[in-house]
Amino acid sequence: MMDELELLKRDWQKKDKQLPQLSFDEIYKMIWKKSSSIVKWIFLISIIEFLVPHLLYLLPSMSKNLAVWKDLGLGNFLLISNVLQYTVVLFFIFQFYRRYREISTLDNAKKLLLNILKTRKTVKYYVIFCLSLIFLSFIVMAVGIYLNEDPMAAMGYSYQPENISREQLKTTLIATVVVLGVVVTLVMGCIYFLLYGILLKKLKKNYKELKEMDI
Amino acid sequence: MTKDLEHQFVTELEHNQNIVHKVCTLYTNDRDSHNDLFQEITIQLWKAYPKFRGESKFSTWMYRVALNTAITLYRKSKKSIPTQDYESVMFKITADEYDPTEEQQLKLMYNAVRQLGDVDKALVFLYLEDKDYREIAETLGITEVNARVKMNRIKNKLKTILNP
Repeated sequence: MMDELELLKRDWQKKDKQLPQLSFDEIYKMIWKKSSSIVKWIFLISIIEFLVPHLLYLLPSMSKNLAVWKDLGLGNFLLISNVLQYTVVLFFIFQFYRRYREISTLDNAKKLLLNILKTRKTVKYYVIFCLSLIFLSFIVMAVGIYLNEDPMAAMGYSYQPENISREQLKTTLIATVVVLGVVVTLVMGCIYFLLYGILLKKLKKNYKELKEMDI
Repeated sequence: MTKDLEHQFVTELEHNQNIVHKVCTLYTNDRDSHNDLFQEITIQLWKAYPKFRGESKFSTWMYRVALNTAITLYRKSKKSIPTQDYESVMFKITADEYDPTEEQQLKLMYNAVRQLGDVDKALVFLYLEDKDYREIAETLGITEVNARVKMNRIKNKLKTILNP
């Protein structure tokens, strides 16, 4: 019996007549269309990820929040964390750009997949860094409330609740801030990992397939 | 200058478009997705074209970019369901003399090949295009020995499908 694959090969090579044929003009139009490749998506989403936390500062309510930080006596922490954050962000952008430039469809499939996954990893570390910073800032705020004599006044509220003691109020505030911190961090983390989970599923699967071939 | 480059590129692609169509046939199930993938491959080829300096044949270079796009860059816009009209055109058996056993076998094999994973498909595709193991290995980034081993496994898998 003839090798089955040879039979298929013979048939395959006669397929040309059945394939669609595009004209010069049709192809010419295509080269100006926008790419919708995974790399492009990763690039766009990463840019958004780098920008969004910084755009938040432009919102009026966020500037008000900054004032609360100062009133709670946390101005120094804010300054140091900002310097630290921007240093790290710059490093991440540099690293991201360098890796992004390395992605080339002229590489072999395995190297291409690896380079894309590496680029992605850079952003992943960046996001983990940001999430930790967000969580940390909630914790520091809780500490600030704990150390402050009159946290309500520092937060811009002038009224004094009557049927609750100052200590109880403090505890409630601290608990609220910590819970809020956990929730915000978790929700943002979930959105992020879900988004990339979907986007990178195919890449990861194919990379695994190629890696397994080489064992 | 740019106009020259555009013209040169489109002419070459027009001549070699069968390669891209064949990749699209293997990796998509309906005509819309086929056109989608064709377009994405064309964009990627055009983007990479300035870096292609004629070191290899235009077609060799095309295989690599086209497969890379199909395996890595292309995002299916939706879960596509195989449509009958597409199947019947793309997989019309082209035997010179009508042979029912052979036709049945080919149908089964095309079906089996399309169910393979993206990477296995690429391997089979290059094999069907009569590429040697060195080129297959280089395109995928694995060793030649492993390309051979993997291809033998796929062959056996197809055999069991045909002779259960």
